[in-house]
Amino acid sequence: MKPENPLLPYLATLQDVIDLTPDVKLFKLKLNDPDIRDSFDYKPGQFIFVSAFGVGEAPFGLTSVAHRKAGLEVAIRQVGTVTAALHQLEPGAIVGVRGTFGNHFPLDEYKGKNIFIIGGGIGFAPLRPIILTILDNRDDYGDLLIINGARSPQDLVFAPEFDTWAAAPRTKLELTVDAGDEKWTGTVALVPTVVSELKLSPENAIAITCGPPIMIHFTLIELRKLGFADNQIITTLEGKMKCGLGKCARCNVGDKYICQDGPVFSMEQISELIEQF
Amino acid sequence: MTQFISKKDLLSWLSQLLEDRYLVAPTKVDELTLFRQVDRVDDIVFDFDNTTLSPKEWFFPPSETLFYVERKDGGVELIPATIERETAIFGIRPCDARGMAMNDYPFLAEPADALYRQHRDKTTLVGLACLTTRPECFCTSMGSGPHDPANLDILLTEVADGYIVQVLTDKGKALLPDKLITAADVSPPPVPALSDVPSGDISEKMRRAFDDPFWDRLADRCIHCNICSYVCPTCYCFDVRDYTDKERIERVRSWESCQSPGFTRIAGGYDPRPTKGSRLRQRFAHKLLYFPEQFGALACVGCGRCVRACPVNIDIREIIQDVQQLGVKSEA
Repeated sequence: MKPENPLLPYLATLQDVIDLTPDVKLFKLKLNDPDIRDSFDYKPGQFIFVSAFGVGEAPFGLTSVAHRKAGLEVAIRQVGTVTAALHQLEPGAIVGVRGTFGNHFPLDEYKGKNIFIIGGGIGFAPLRPIILTILDNRDDYGDLLIINGARSPQDLVFAPEFDTWAAAPRTKLELTVDAGDEKWTGTVALVPTVVSELKLSPENAIAITCGPPIMIHFTLIELRKLGFADNQIITTLEGKMKCGLGKCARCNVGDKYICQDGPVFSMEQISELIEQF
Repeated sequence: MTQFISKKDLLSWLSQLLEDRYLVAPTKVDELTLFRQVDRVDDIVFDFDNTTLSPKEWFFPPSETLFYVERKDGGVELIPATIERETAIFGIRPCDARGMAMNDYPFLAEPADALYRQHRDKTTLVGLACLTTRPECFCTSMGSGPHDPANLDILLTEVADGYIVQVLTDKGKALLPDKLITAADVSPPPVPALSDVPSGDISEKMRRAFDDPFWDRLADRCIHCNICSYVCPTCYCFDVRDYTDKERIERVRSWESCQSPGFTRIAGGYDPRPTKGSRLRQRFAHKLLYFPEQFGALACVGCGRCVRACPVNIDIREIIQDVQQLGVKSEA
């Protein structure tokens, strides 16, 4: 359903707010209008704008998958004014939702391939729909390796789901932190180091990475050293955006708009851009 | 024979327009000439070269409420802003009419911007051909010309005792009654000549010049005051913010400039375009490379306002010339 006024949000009600880490909350949203709710479709990698009325709106990658029909979910780290206002809200609060925007991870093209999901911090949020889609259609894909990294053990997002992910067939979960604590017995290493040490095989594989720019930068270097071609490396770009419609002209990288041509790009596409971020 | 309206009939027509619509026309505001809504024809300035700001501000205002948020009985209602009243804009220069057409590309691309669409639909455009030009003018290099009727509903060209009239659209026809127009044997004044800025294959040249240190050098003197964006008839980047006043909340769109340091900075502090050079290059790459690739026309109409307004003499005409020479591998 296409809105008549694309800058006017739909109203939605916060169904639940769950603490994921000390500064990340998972928001479960239900669109108020049943017709819009039923027709609101989206794919892994797409994003919505969420409004905290009176403060503003900002774009967030959806962490839920449409096929589970459990409502919209976004994982939001408190980092600016809009996210701070959203973090103050409690279940029952009315927010605005615009979307869905952007392209998506072309998961159909990855069928039969081994998939490496490499995420860091809140950058892991838009990767979760890929994991859920693969787990719900496990036979369609090859081996799945998930690398989730964070600054500290308590900053790892989606911890309650780790056991389910790790228990899925042909699926491995590698957790890593920059610095452990007294209870942490797992890996202490930066994400690119883990990528290097696990010697991921580029054969029949796709690597999808999302995280802070510095993590993505060094992960790419390691993936290329391991023999991954640029069309086997997928990432998402982040940009300031105000509309999601290619109109506000804030999120261009060269002649591409992240909001419309992205946020999902292969390294092959990124290296062809005239402007390098 | 040409169609003609006498000065006297023009003034009485403009007064009539005031009865059932807003009339927006060049007026004096302190030292500036600006398009403002007028209540009497006497306030209209006829003797002007061009206005300080383009009529863009009547379609894409410097700041405009998109919708209101009303909180009632624990619920929330969103009330979109709408444009109700018809408007006629008098005195638009041909370059600025082209500027509006350039704004149409992004704003009317599907899904069309609702408010911009309403502004456009409710407004009739009456142009005034240029009899003289300013030193900064270069519209003829940018797809327009001092007497160009394109993108207007009516074009008037001043002659002795009145104006040659070109009614160009049905909207124009509906605004100007036939009975005010007479056939007359008057020839149009000569079209003023302008010097040429070599913009022919500028997109290709921009691509070649993209990584040249030229941009950083040029940006050294930029003080990112943003005036170039604000006076530009084609610049359309915007910001969106919420404003709260007790019980009422407004979501407001306002002009933004790619020259502002915060233009691309995201929450958390990361800025993918952190230098003045990269931001200055963005301004010219958007106008001369990305916009033409996306919409097939340069996002510059040669009005010269940025040239006149820039406090540090950054001159798009010189940049277009300089870019021709950049990125060329020197022959060994």
